[in-house]
Formats: sequence, structure tokens, C-alpha cells
Amino acid sequence: MARALVSVASLGLLLLLWWYATEVAQLVSPFVLPSPGDVISGLARVSEGYMGGSLMEHFTASMSVMLSGFLLALVIGIPLGILMAWIPIMDRLFGPLLTVLRPIPPPAWIPLAILWFGIGIAGKTFIVFVAAFVPVLVNAYVGCKETPINLLNAARTLGASQRTILMEVVLPSAMPVILTGARISLGVAWATIVAAELVVADQGFGFLIMNGYRNFEANIMAGGMLLIGVIGILMNLGFVWLERVLLRWNAEVR
Amino acid sequence: MTTTIEYRNVSMSFGTGAQAVRALDPTNFKIGNQEFLMIVGPSGCGKSTLLHVTSGLLKPTTGEVLLDGQPITAPGPDKALVFQNFSLFPWKTVWENIDFGLRINNLPRDEREARVRHYIKLTGLSGFEHRYPRQLSGGMQQRVAIARSFVLRPRVLLMDEPFAALDAQNRAIMQEELVRIWSEQRSTVLFITHSVEEAVYLADRVMVMSRRPGQIKEVIDVGAVTGASHWRTRPLNDVASDAKFQNLRHHVWESVRSEISPLVGA
Repeated sequence: MARALVSVASLGLLLLLWWYATEVAQLVSPFVLPSPGDVISGLARVSEGYMGGSLMEHFTASMSVMLSGFLLALVIGIPLGILMAWIPIMDRLFGPLLTVLRPIPPPAWIPLAILWFGIGIAGKTFIVFVAAFVPVLVNAYVGCKETPINLLNAARTLGASQRTILMEVVLPSAMPVILTGARISLGVAWATIVAAELVVADQGFGFLIMNGYRNFEANIMAGGMLLIGVIGILMNLGFVWLERVLLRWNAEVR
Repeated sequence: MTTTIEYRNVSMSFGTGAQAVRALDPTNFKIGNQEFLMIVGPSGCGKSTLLHVTSGLLKPTTGEVLLDGQPITAPGPDKALVFQNFSLFPWKTVWENIDFGLRINNLPRDEREARVRHYIKLTGLSGFEHRYPRQLSGGMQQRVAIARSFVLRPRVLLMDEPFAALDAQNRAIMQEELVRIWSEQRSTVLFITHSVEEAVYLADRVMVMSRRPGQIKEVIDVGAVTGASHWRTRPLNDVASDAKFQNLRHHVWESVRSEISPLVGA
């Protein structure tokens, strides 16, 4: 309770300082740092429609591309990670490729993705996919590899086939790590779609704040950033809740 | 049906070349039907290796283990193994853990249910069927592990220091429980322990192993001392004051101790 109070107080103090510096003392120009009131009015303006789309349309644009790339990463990344952990030849086949591709920061893919897939939805979906894919795959791989040897031995002595061991021991054992990977990946996907929209888009949150920049509307930029942050927090909370529901057996999930 | 285990020239080395570690020297031994064989020895004496070779999880470097004359080549439900750390599946409930071996071996549903119910009752787990392992105490978890093994009606029961993780009171209770469950369904038992008292109390025979590379140092026939009224059929607390029990415990302890630290003591 006391700890929560300190957190609230620190946030409140920051808001107070912001409000004082911009609205009361007017220490900084509104073109550099808009006041809280400016940001609220900016958000109100965006919600009525901004640059050819309502707030809902910008939201849908960002979210649909982000989710397509993210889901694609799950559908390909989880099975591939499991196969690489389970079948040595798959590990040798895909391991080196991953080692080479992994250190490339996802935004570095943006120009190539535009070249390959154009400036539409396909290009951005690809970028999100590339970004979200790595944490999904790595966590699925590590999760499977970390199955306790004792549980594998127990299953074998009880007469389990390889298939049973994979489905009933390795997968459930890896599930907490797989879900953690998916949650990390969701955050990465969200960051990446915004980055991609900064470069090339005619809708979405990245496009929104880039337009704020082009039109000297710092309040639109700040408002857009605020929304991006809030949506990120909500998605993360949703995922944590999902983990708790799916992993009731796990003592570490609270 | 009788069950015998025969070790023929069984040895085990880990690694190869100069780094190879000899865990178990060639061993020849025979275990009789429904025998309760307790194995004691210092850490690293190869007793776990012997157990894992018997389970089929490890392939011996030389020799073979015969179960009723047939070489053991792979693990399976006829050779159940109870682990020191319980090794329950944490995502399965008590019921699902015990049922697992029956289900994957395709037993009919009615029989599975009857057997699981029976062993839940026998191991005192009634009312805990739908708990997850993390919601149980260590003693309760080991009951689940024991039920999970017994429910398969294995010919051989392999126990790898099953009670080492329990406190003294729970250990004593579980020893008596094990005997009670076992006397209803007698399989041949290989039981590894660090506790000399546990070994003498439960055993038909106690096998003392030498330090690495492991060899059979001595085999003590407890059954010959106790006769038909075996110590394990009485509470440990009553047996502990028996002079014959104390003598044997002393003998085994001296035998093990001389292996633990050859530099210290006589």
C-alpha cells in the first residue's frame, strides 16, 4: 500500500512539474513541450478525425498490421523453435541462419521490406514479423531445451513414447517460457509497427506523430506517444492475465 | 509369477579415453523374487548407476542385466522408478499424475479409474485428487510418486533415495507406509539409501558398495537374522531397541564408514 502510494506520488509530482513548467511559469515554448491541456485538446482533435482518419481508424490500422505480423511470428516461430530443440538436424540447419539474422535490429529491415513488398500492409507486416519472430523462436527453443531431465526420465520409465514425451512433457514444461517469449514479442511488435509507420504510412499511430512533427504540432506528437504507451501497457497486462489463466499449475505465475 | 534380476558382468564408464570415469566395476549379482534389496554406499559409489542401468535409462558399458532371463534394453512400465526429488509433472493434478502411466499404456478407462482410485486411497491421498503438486507437502508429493509407480503393477520397483528429501518424522512414516503398500502388491524392490537404519529396517538383504569405482563390498542377509517376523513389519521405533537390530546397524555403518573416508579413523 505504502509502495503504491509512492508510485502514485512520483507520477503526480511529474505531472505537477509538467503543468507548472508549461502552463504556469511558461518556462518552455509550447512548440517544444506542450502543456497537459494542449495534449488533451490535441487528443480531442485527433479523436474527431485527423489526417483522413478517426482515432479508431488509426488504431485499427496499427493494430491489424501489428497483430498479423505477430500472429505470423507465433505460427511459424513456436513450431520451428520446438522442432529445433527436438530434432538435432533442424538445429544445425536453422541455427547458423538465426545466428546471422538475430543481431540485425528490426528497423534495419524497413527499407528492404519496402523494396520487396511495397509501402502497403504487406511490407509493414513483414517488418513486424521479422521483429516478433526472434523472441518467439528463441524462447520456444530454450523452453524446450530446459525441460528437467528428471521429468523426461520419469516419463520414459512410465513407458512414454517419444511423441508422448514431446506432447505431454516437453511442451507443457516449456509453456511458461513460450508465453514469456510471446509477451516480449508482442511488445517488440508494437514498437516495430510504430517505427515502420514513422517511415512509411498513411494511417496509424506512427503516422500520427510523424504528422504532428511535420505540422509543428507538438501536442499531437505527445498525445500520440501517450496513446502508444497506454495501449502497450494494456496489451502487456492482458497477456500477463492470459498467462495466469493458462498456467494455474505454475507456482511462479502469480 | 516370479521375478528375478541378474547382473552379468555389468560395468559402467562415463566418458572416453583418458577422461573416462569408471563408475561401476564389473558386477555379478542375482536378486530373488519379491526381494527387498537395500543398497548403501558412499556418494559416487555407482549405486545410482546400478539403478539406472536396471531401469533401462542407462546402457551398461559392458555386460547385461536380465529381467527374468530377458536382457533389459529400454525403460518401461514393468520397471518403475521413484526419484529422490519426486519428479511429478507439475502441470498435472495428483489424479492425472497417477493415471499418466496407465493412460499412455492404453489401459481401458474403467480399469484405469479403478486402479487410480485404489492407490489414491492406499497412499492416503483421498481428497487431494485435484491438487497440483506445488500445493502439496514433500511427503504428500512422494506419496503421489509412489502411487504413480505402484499403479502400474511393476515387476521391479526401483527407488533412488526416495525419502532423502523428507524430514525425519515424514521419513519414518513413509517407510512404514511403503511396507504396507508393498505387502499388498509385492514386487522386487531395489532401494538406494544413505540411511543405514533405513537399509537395515526395510531390507531382506543389504548390499554395501565400495567407493568409486563401485563394487559390491558386502551383502548382508537381514532375513536370516530376523526369520519370518521381519523388522519392517513392526514400527521402526519398536525395532530400534532390539539388540540384534542395533548390532546389524552398527555392522553396516562400520562397513560404509570405512569406504567414506579411508584416511580418517580405523
